[in-house]
Amino acid sequence: MFYDFHMHSCLSPCAENEMTPNNICNMALIKGLDIIAVTDHNSTRQLRSISKAAAETGIKMLYGAELESSEEVHVLGLFPSLEKAEALQPWIDERMPGIPNRPDFFGDQLLLDENDEPVGKEDRLLLVSLSASLSECVDAIHSFGGRAILAHVLDRANSVTQQLGFIPMDLPYDGLEIKSPDQMQRIIKTHPWIRPDSTHWFIDSDAHRLVDISEPENIITHDEIKELWGDVL
Amino acid sequence: MTVRQLIEETGWNCLAGSDRLDTEIVDAYCGDLLSWVMGKGQPDQAWITVQVHMNVIAVAVLREFSCVIIAENANLPEDVIAKAEEEGIPLLESGIPVYASAKKLVELGI
Repeated sequence: MFYDFHMHSCLSPCAENEMTPNNICNMALIKGLDIIAVTDHNSTRQLRSISKAAAETGIKMLYGAELESSEEVHVLGLFPSLEKAEALQPWIDERMPGIPNRPDFFGDQLLLDENDEPVGKEDRLLLVSLSASLSECVDAIHSFGGRAILAHVLDRANSVTQQLGFIPMDLPYDGLEIKSPDQMQRIIKTHPWIRPDSTHWFIDSDAHRLVDISEPENIITHDEIKELWGDVL
Repeated sequence: MTVRQLIEETGWNCLAGSDRLDTEIVDAYCGDLLSWVMGKGQPDQAWITVQVHMNVIAVAVLREFSCVIIAENANLPEDVIAKAEEEGIPLLESGIPVYASAKKLVELGI
């Protein structure tokens, strides 16, 4: 199955307002993807309307959020159901610093319904680090029934390697997100304890604009989805 | 100046590595991005940071820092303190911001 498990809706401050539930699902469909996850910064609040739009288009979904730990590391929490993802929201809310958004600078942080009509906006800035360490974020994702994928692990900003120097040996993550296959070799070279065959690797778009959503290039098998998320297909 | 003398002069809290306090401090380095510190830090520097992840201790060992100074009471986890003790890395807590901590070192001639 062609997948893209990392993209942002217009709820994320840095994403374009064109990233509406229906636009995302229809673009994913046009691109030929089979399964997607939308992962807004520190929020699951857009997922309900996206799941309705996805049901309309017939595209499969995982339900996600991109958490930012106190070390400013980005980690994806990907859940097999909307309910499980939404159950994480109070945990996030308790750990938000409560800095007000400045829409002129960061964007509107729009909440839309399944018809892409505005129903509200998030007033607290979402592009913040939670008062939870990376290992606490991974533990929380697990305790709410999700899988933790370390996001864009070799990026120059907000990646585990940038913030923490290297991927901690004892961190119980479920997968590593890279930008291209050659990044896997770089990680293995610098992390001899990471076994390539027993690691789940993901290549996602991290799209903030419609055009950047992945082309049908990255494949995940039914078995791998089942192993990680159970019977979601 | 040794780590012991620094502690005597400042009164900063020493949380680990008390058997390595005679290590000399020749310079200091400030930074919280561990990738950056791994690339730029030099041996015998005192490292001032608010980063409290376990990897801090690994970076301190790798760069052969003379001590790690945690600024602003950044809430050090117990397992990080235990790791510093195990690795023999003096771990200090200044209780003041990074800049104020660095100024203190300058005042003391580092």
